[in-house]
Amino acid sequence: MTSRRFWRRNGATGWALSAPATLAIIGFLLIPIGAVIAGTFMDPRGVFAPYISYFNSGFRTTVLFRTLQIAAITTIISLIFGFMTAYVVSRAPGKLKSLLIVAAVFPLLTGVVVRAFAWLIILGRNGILNQTLLGLGIVNEPLEMLYTQGAVIIGMVYLFVPLMVLSLVGVLENIPKDVLQASSSLGASPLATFWQVLLPLAVPGLIVGAVLVFTGSFTAYATPQLLGGERQTVLATLLHQRAMVSFDWVGASTIAAIMTVITITIVLAMSNIARRINPMAT
Amino acid sequence: MTQPLDLHAISAHYGTTKVLEDLSLSVQAGELVSLLGASGCGKTTTLRLIAGFLSPTTGLIQLGGRDLTRLPPHKRDIGLVFQNYALFPHLSVLDNVAFGLKQRGIGSTERRKRAMAMLERVGLAALADRAPGALSGGQKQRVALARALVIEPPLLMFDEPLSNLDAKLRVDMRVEIRQLQRSNGTTSVYVTHDQEEAFSISDRVAIMNAGRLMQFDRPEVLYRRPANTFVARFVGFENIIPFKVVARDGDVATAETAGMTLRLSQASYGAIPDSFLLATRPDGLVVSTDPAAEGLPAQLGLRTYLGRAYQYQCVTEAGHLVANGSLTTPLEARASVKLVPMPEQCTILSADGAQ
Amino acid sequence: MSDRPHPILIGVAALVYLFLMLPLVIVVGAALSDTTYLTFPPQGLSLRWFENIFEISAFRRTIVTSLQIAFMGTLLALLIGIPAAYALNRFRVELPKWLGTLFVLPILVPEIVFGFALLKSLTVGTGVPIFAALLIGHTLLVLPYVVRVISASLASFDFSIEEAAISLGSAPIKTFFTIVLPNVRAGVIAAFILAFITSLNDVSVSLFLTGPGISTLPIQILAHVEQFFDPTVASVSVLLMFLTVAVMAVVERTLGLTFLAK
Repeated sequence: MTSRRFWRRNGATGWALSAPATLAIIGFLLIPIGAVIAGTFMDPRGVFAPYISYFNSGFRTTVLFRTLQIAAITTIISLIFGFMTAYVVSRAPGKLKSLLIVAAVFPLLTGVVVRAFAWLIILGRNGILNQTLLGLGIVNEPLEMLYTQGAVIIGMVYLFVPLMVLSLVGVLENIPKDVLQASSSLGASPLATFWQVLLPLAVPGLIVGAVLVFTGSFTAYATPQLLGGERQTVLATLLHQRAMVSFDWVGASTIAAIMTVITITIVLAMSNIARRINPMAT
Repeated sequence: MTQPLDLHAISAHYGTTKVLEDLSLSVQAGELVSLLGASGCGKTTTLRLIAGFLSPTTGLIQLGGRDLTRLPPHKRDIGLVFQNYALFPHLSVLDNVAFGLKQRGIGSTERRKRAMAMLERVGLAALADRAPGALSGGQKQRVALARALVIEPPLLMFDEPLSNLDAKLRVDMRVEIRQLQRSNGTTSVYVTHDQEEAFSISDRVAIMNAGRLMQFDRPEVLYRRPANTFVARFVGFENIIPFKVVARDGDVATAETAGMTLRLSQASYGAIPDSFLLATRPDGLVVSTDPAAEGLPAQLGLRTYLGRAYQYQCVTEAGHLVANGSLTTPLEARASVKLVPMPEQCTILSADGAQ
Repeated sequence: MSDRPHPILIGVAALVYLFLMLPLVIVVGAALSDTTYLTFPPQGLSLRWFENIFEISAFRRTIVTSLQIAFMGTLLALLIGIPAAYALNRFRVELPKWLGTLFVLPILVPEIVFGFALLKSLTVGTGVPIFAALLIGHTLLVLPYVVRVISASLASFDFSIEEAAISLGSAPIKTFFTIVLPNVRAGVIAAFILAFITSLNDVSVSLFLTGPGISTLPIQILAHVEQFFDPTVASVSVLLMFLTVAVMAVVERTLGLTFLAK
């Protein structure tokens, strides 16, 4: 009896089973973040006061644009190299392909701190790169490579290229082989097939990958902290510094709100575009 | 325009597995030839070899005297219709059809004109601006057909083009394909596992098994005179009984199997060798209750109703046989009967399985 | 096949893989160095920096905390995530669409914002103990991965098998454990590993939820790097990598690594 009632296909069971996780997300994620964002509009100085003071500060707007710039450059570089690599991986024979995929997964599973630290050893004043350059006599004194935008971007690309490769391999594998064969049977050269068939079909996947990398690098903390330091402050490091060093809760909340809004807007807008132009959706 | 296709002694391997062995096949200009067989027989491999998606280990592929063997697929100029249609999902119906023309450097106005004309021929002009995703299976197949035809290829190939359509549409489409092929006179290779489809559409059919060509002939010949036991079973000769001639009396040979004898006249069966296989369809073995009939003694088993006749599973000294009996007198199981061969529904194969 | 990629593309891919692998090799080399400063190639091999990890009590403590949090957080996420994933697939028609979207939200929200929000509302706002806040944070951090990975394997599960078992007289709850769960076992293990590794390596959420006496290993490494620049950090990093490899080896034993490619 109970079992029959259980199995009538009504939503009650579904609601009950998903309730703990749903409540956890609402109670520990939506409400706290909502409270942080709502808090920024309850400033005694006026509704938008924290935002006005944020954008009035030259330093803080610089940080915002630097963060956007680093994320954009990281995304473009990851996109180019990730796509080329994914193309090669997707065309590799079975065994080699699995090996290449595992090789891309491994760095992903290694923590961000470890991966940023690796570049600290390489790019440091007494790091491997400087030692090598000095040893070869290419430079006379060590180059200052750390705490530059370049260092942060290298670290970020290192962080996100595997993600891009893996997601694009999935995209390329999803393109039916016979569509590509149809193209060449109709006389399209490999290059024409690439530009006229493969690339257009991969665009939605490229957008998804780009969004993943952009939002990831836009909100990353450990890499800019270790490789960029105070000279290359980004939103995430500024947020931490405001909250934990200056105890400026309103300032920190404002940064948190800006980051959240930008991230969600980009994700929603781009995934909407990707869905709309996806020819394989229908 | 239309050209003959020649395969000379083609062999192919997947890794170390041999998938095609010493295949030679000539398709005349304007002819439609089907490659017929179960999955894994090598028919699709043959098509992919001709298209250039696979390379043969040995052998030669020629189209109108031009050697294709080492040519990349995009230079072969072959129209290909895929099993899953393989339409470009990001292009409209019209652009799909025009794709091949674009690769041939034809200007956009001319391209559009020719693609529209072809869409008109397959009855889809009204859907030119649709996305392929919005079409039904039959419409997709027509677009695929138009896309392959519009480049006016000297060779057209079909890879199980109808297998994703429902039964009714399948019959309509195969008539349509045949009509288009006839009116264009394009040499065609058609791959299918459906015997009825192959026989109904083709000038000649190549029956394949385990990477080898078993028989290559007109459907009528395949149906009546299979060349070996494989083809015989494939086209429905369910009973294959080994015989030895024990006596000859002029035109009549007395043949023996498992202690039973049968008198066969060469006037009806053709030349009868000393040792042979008698192959019959169930229709070619008639159940008779007349004890004096010239047939094989049998005991009846399960009876099933076919509409035009009753079919009986029979036990004989020569093993299990399937025979048909008249509708007017249904017989019960365990009845003792004679199974009488009908010469026009039988064929004689040599003892080693070949004709 | 004639579609072998252009040699230039193969060259680029090879360089990308070199770029991916080399830094990790360098970390391992530096960890094995005998010198008191970071260098590569190592000058004299020794394990002294590994011993040093365990001599520094902060590292000892944080390794334990990290493992505890990762293990407990993952289990909690599985405990609430598996029923949710099951409900989202089994009652796809009955449940509203936004419920599925809700489980994607934690991925959309920047982790660092999530960490900061928890600090404000839990630790500061209601005085929840640091360890509990850290555990809650990590549970929610890995919950979306758990739901997504298990949903993916449930999506290919044929629920008529479950109905068949019930029609044969098996009780629904028992059916879940004897029929459904064994068939999505690979998904559950994958979810466990992904969640465990994500939690173990997390910085952004832990950053705000650590306090006096309670910290995680990655946060401790960050703090250490900013003060000292010696091979200890390299060896801790290697230790963390080793833990990752160990987890992956367990997967290899049970499932084969190729499932990660899915």
